[in-house]
Amino acid sequence: MTVHVPQKRIVAAKLQHHVIYVSDLQRSKDFYTRLFDLQFSALNHPDSSAAMRLAQMEMHFFSFGFYHHDICLVKHHKLRMDNGSMLHFSLVARDRLAFDAIRSRANQIGAPVRDGRLIASARTSPGQRAFCLRDPDNHWIEIIEEQGK
Amino acid sequence: MTTVAYVPPNVLPPFLQKFAPLLKRKWFRALVLAPPTLTRRRFSNKTEDYGVFRPSLIERIGQVSIYVQDIDRSRQWYEKLVGLTHSRTCEQEPHPSKDGWTIRCCYMSAAEHQECLVLVEERNPAGKVSVPTGMSFFHTAFELQGNGMKEVLAFAGQAKRDGYAANYGPVRHNGEPPLGDGETGGNVACYFYDPDYHNIEFCGAMDTIENYRARYGELKGSARS
Repeated sequence: MTVHVPQKRIVAAKLQHHVIYVSDLQRSKDFYTRLFDLQFSALNHPDSSAAMRLAQMEMHFFSFGFYHHDICLVKHHKLRMDNGSMLHFSLVARDRLAFDAIRSRANQIGAPVRDGRLIASARTSPGQRAFCLRDPDNHWIEIIEEQGK
Repeated sequence: MTTVAYVPPNVLPPFLQKFAPLLKRKWFRALVLAPPTLTRRRFSNKTEDYGVFRPSLIERIGQVSIYVQDIDRSRQWYEKLVGLTHSRTCEQEPHPSKDGWTIRCCYMSAAEHQECLVLVEERNPAGKVSVPTGMSFFHTAFELQGNGMKEVLAFAGQAKRDGYAANYGPVRHNGEPPLGDGETGGNVACYFYDPDYHNIEFCGAMDTIENYRARYGELKGSARS
């Protein structure tokens, strides 16, 4: 008799990276590197990447410090970006000091800041700090402090 | 719920999706890049890796919220394709940045990431649900459990058997045959359009600060190719 052993299904473990459209790569690059210390880890240019050439895009990759890329900024050379398909994305600060540093830098660059989680129904653990701000293309970014860090 | 059949302008047409696997062939990439090669722009606008060498102030992405036309339709897609689980769906609440508008949020969890994805129905003051434009993000990516090449390839097969067609992949974002497409990052990936044409990547085996150094040492840019 043959015993059928069902194969284990592959499932998603976690969010890994997020690629957002921007209208001015240099302006956004300055914003993200200055505010979060993100590292510019790679460039895919339409003059030297076949995929980018076909898609008519240029992509700049940024790392949080372990993976090759975590946030990517992409400029579409023919289409105009907007804020009509994403409400926000949130970034977890490395620790309490990092959260304070980001908040301080946001003040220094004059970025208007809103305290708390962006979505009222989002879960917040007791004492957890969060604030939100908008990037140069009006993408909402939420900064979260993870408890116990 | 009635949905509008809108295809965002950045969606890859089906006939181009058929050609996309050719990006794994070096001759095809050379053909596509022939004009900038002849004009030498290819060498002044290089696609290259710069490496990862120090921590930033951010540890990880916490959550992404995307607009959808129909929470139930989208929830089912993420549950069936890749095993996201439903955490909770909330009552309508005020939109955080548009006066008079409302949102309704469905929180989805991955195996190791609670409430990582929020499916959001946005309604204008008249109660009409917004149609996502597709032009805020190019894609968002989930790491598959196991985080290896074999898991991504197994997932691609699993999805195909379940009736889901990838719009690109499986490929590896580097120049190594047989999967390499000449891009950067090293991740093995396949991409699917969700019911609102959000491009969703499922990946594993991305380069890290550790294997980056092991592979390239002190070499930078074109010296690594």
